[in-house]
Amino acid sequence: MTSARPPVFEVRGLERTYGEGAAAVHALRGIDLHIDPGELLVLLGPSGSGKSTLLNILGGLDRPTGGSVRFGDLDLGAADDAALTDYRRHHVGFVFQFYNLIASLTARENVELVTEVADDPMPADEALRLVGLGERLTHFPAQLSGGEQQRVAIARAIAKRPTVLLCDEPTGALDVETGIRVLESLVRINETLGTTTLLITHNADIARVGDRVVRFADGRVRSDEANPARVAPSELRW
Amino acid sequence: MKPLDRKLWRDLRRLWLQALAVGLVLGSGIALFVMSTGMYGSLERARDRYYAHERMADLASSLVRAPDRVARDLAALPGIDAVEARVTGIGLISLPDVVEPVSARLLSLPSDRRPRVNDLVLRVGAWPDPRRDDEILVNEAFAEAHGLAPGAPLDMLLRGKRRVLRLAPGASARAVSAEVDRLLAPHGGRGAYGRDRMLSARYLSDELSQLRTMASVLPPVFLLVAVFLINVTLSRLVATERANIGLLKAFGYRNGAIALHYAEFALVFCAFAALLGVVLGGFVGGYMADIYRAVYRLPVLEFEAGAATWLGALGVALLAAVLGAAGAVARAVRLPPATALSPPAPTHFGRLGAGAERAAQRLDARARMLVRRIVRFPRRSATTVAGIAFALALLILSDNFPAVVDRIIDVNFGVAQRMDVSVTFAERQHERVLRELARLPGVEAVEPLRTAEVILSAGPRRQRDALMGVPEGAWLNRIIGEDERPVQPRADGVTLSEGLAGKLGVGVGDRVRIEATDGRRVVSEVPVVALIKPFIGGAAYMDQRALGRLLREPERIDSAYLRIDPAERDALAKRLKGIPAIVGVTFADNAEASLRAMFDQGTGFFAFMFLAFSLVMAAGVAFSAARVTLGEQERDLATLRVLGFRRSEASWVLLGELGLLLAVAIPIGLVLGFALSQWLMSEFETEIFSFPFVFDPPTYARAVLFVVVAVVAAALWVRRDVDRLDLVAVLKSRE
Repeated sequence: MTSARPPVFEVRGLERTYGEGAAAVHALRGIDLHIDPGELLVLLGPSGSGKSTLLNILGGLDRPTGGSVRFGDLDLGAADDAALTDYRRHHVGFVFQFYNLIASLTARENVELVTEVADDPMPADEALRLVGLGERLTHFPAQLSGGEQQRVAIARAIAKRPTVLLCDEPTGALDVETGIRVLESLVRINETLGTTTLLITHNADIARVGDRVVRFADGRVRSDEANPARVAPSELRW
Repeated sequence: MKPLDRKLWRDLRRLWLQALAVGLVLGSGIALFVMSTGMYGSLERARDRYYAHERMADLASSLVRAPDRVARDLAALPGIDAVEARVTGIGLISLPDVVEPVSARLLSLPSDRRPRVNDLVLRVGAWPDPRRDDEILVNEAFAEAHGLAPGAPLDMLLRGKRRVLRLAPGASARAVSAEVDRLLAPHGGRGAYGRDRMLSARYLSDELSQLRTMASVLPPVFLLVAVFLINVTLSRLVATERANIGLLKAFGYRNGAIALHYAEFALVFCAFAALLGVVLGGFVGGYMADIYRAVYRLPVLEFEAGAATWLGALGVALLAAVLGAAGAVARAVRLPPATALSPPAPTHFGRLGAGAERAAQRLDARARMLVRRIVRFPRRSATTVAGIAFALALLILSDNFPAVVDRIIDVNFGVAQRMDVSVTFAERQHERVLRELARLPGVEAVEPLRTAEVILSAGPRRQRDALMGVPEGAWLNRIIGEDERPVQPRADGVTLSEGLAGKLGVGVGDRVRIEATDGRRVVSEVPVVALIKPFIGGAAYMDQRALGRLLREPERIDSAYLRIDPAERDALAKRLKGIPAIVGVTFADNAEASLRAMFDQGTGFFAFMFLAFSLVMAAGVAFSAARVTLGEQERDLATLRVLGFRRSEASWVLLGELGLLLAVAIPIGLVLGFALSQWLMSEFETEIFSFPFVFDPPTYARAVLFVVVAVVAAALWVRRDVDRLDLVAVLKSRE
């Protein structure tokens, strides 16, 4: 990745503290990071290392208590609730460990939920085809397997053509085979649409699919290394 | 304290608002139950105590005049316990503060002892001294109304000379009354009648039957809604506690302990409701007793709900807890531990019908969510709809009553009785008297009325009632037909009220026997030519001249109706006071005011009570529904927020569901209110009053407004929680 284009995210001295005084928990203790357009960045670290907190702040779900975080011209630390909602609406796609599909909507309708309010969405069917679910459009979540549900969640996240796709342990609740299929969808989207993708995992094997791996421990970045030899998800085993 | 008990109290603290909603709805129902059944018992006991203590007559008969020995003969009849003979008269009283003459009925008291029958309760002052002939007792309500204290002088013109005998039989009233009639016939006896024809007893028994109707209809509605609320709340609790239930089972807790744990939630809700209901019911009952005491003047009337009522209230609460909790508790017991510990599969939503699905495709995704949820959980949706509809119906029911009273008064005084003054004569007069009345100051029109106290019979059925002779083309006192329009009196037969016809078991074309109880005591048979439904009193009508001929007393009248020039009102009143033949003068506006005052007694309090209870029901149901929907949709709402939907857009799913259910409930509530009002009016019908069903659109609009405000307030209260959703925590939790 070249640095000629301005970064998607510019993070400087980012801090996030929960609580006060003796009970204060320092989730982030001064993070510096920049994320370039089109990157597939893996955030790797054990539970409680701060990677989810960073992802939440980058996604506009949480606010820092110190430092700065910018998305282009938008100061995410200073934006109000309405501005953050608009930011999520137009620029961010989320994928969580638990798929969080709306049980009362079919696969296609779950995706349409987003395309109805997005500026320049792709057709819902196309998003579902991208994740390999072109045949399951009219199924309700209860009629889909865990892996299929997660792929619907990915289709829903990418259908608005987001600038960034934020994935928090997207394979955490899945078996290996299914997890690989989900990772394949994410990699394909990153490659075909050029969506900047942040992938949280505590699994070092999975980290091998990324362009860059940022290791977290104790609220700090321990290492930030480019991955010269990206591995296809199908080659992974964990 | 055991860990499960500690968990119970902590969870209850979290659920206190839901507990409050259930408690208030069920508590309102229990309060209504305590108040209506308690008041029924209290009023009945007070009446019976009063009747027993003051030796209320079982039979009465009036007659022209008879020697004292007739009373002794009556006392000797088998089945008669006590006899009291009385002299009565009607007179006009002149009160310094009242321009109009006031008519009063005077009853004699035995000179040397207390009455054996119909004794009096002395409230203030002393019994009249038998050696003096200018001391009287005055009815307390009358004394209060005119500020009369013991010792106050009363100027009275006494006329008339009838005697009344009252009897207290201890045996079959029917057999005794036949004997009494036989004995009194030579003395102008008018036929003995029982308590069912005594006006005060009739008012009381009408009130009791209305209380019984209220006790049997309203509390079950609240109970039903409360049962559904408990069911919905507990089902949701068991659903969220799924993993805990699995854990408890994995630790070896037995099904019984788990069932008891969840049943205890319902028991606590209902214990709170019972307490609230009993306290509130006692308070409302006490207030009602005050109103009844003022209206009925029973010497001892305290609200005492009695053990049966308290136990009933407790039973109702327990029943609600058991019925409401059963389903949810059974689900908790049936849940296999392994399944409970694994994350729940997404709720299964099916497609709607083909047609509905096509319609749903035209909606946006959020609207589809909303419709599918309503269809997916039909019982809960139905509960919400039913609760709101019932609340609306109750509001209509209570708020409609003033419109009914207005209609009764409008029709009675605007269409039927359009006279300004009615005048009653001490003795039957020749029609000539009308010409003299017409010459009095301010009199613009005069109309006669012939009344006869008769016994109507058809086969074995007998009814004592007034047969009224109304002149053809009557203008001041008209008979009102089914459609509230005047009908003409008929000379070829009697026109009966539907109530009287029902009691006699006759219809148009049947013949009834008429026995006059005075005068020439004519016995005759006439056909029923028409049926009517008067709102107030009224029983049998005939053309005035024809009735005179039938009774063989032609051209005789008992009363006259006058239309007057309001400017001459005082002058006329003064003249009427001085005419010896007149014993009763009623100004229509006074009659209207006193009728309205009678209806208004306690009406304001009832209206407020119903308004409060109905609003509690509407808000309680809406709050519970919104809370449960929020609980179930927390994850969906958080997902919408994360996907970039604004707060207002996300809460639309929550508020939209309630709004849609409200929209469904309103027409149902309107129809239910309409039907319930109609039914209740017929249920409240008594011999004295028949309540018309009145459709008053402003009442319905007001009720809808109140319910909408209550539902919206409850929904907005819950909506605040959408703003407080911790998106990350919700979305990262398993369920």
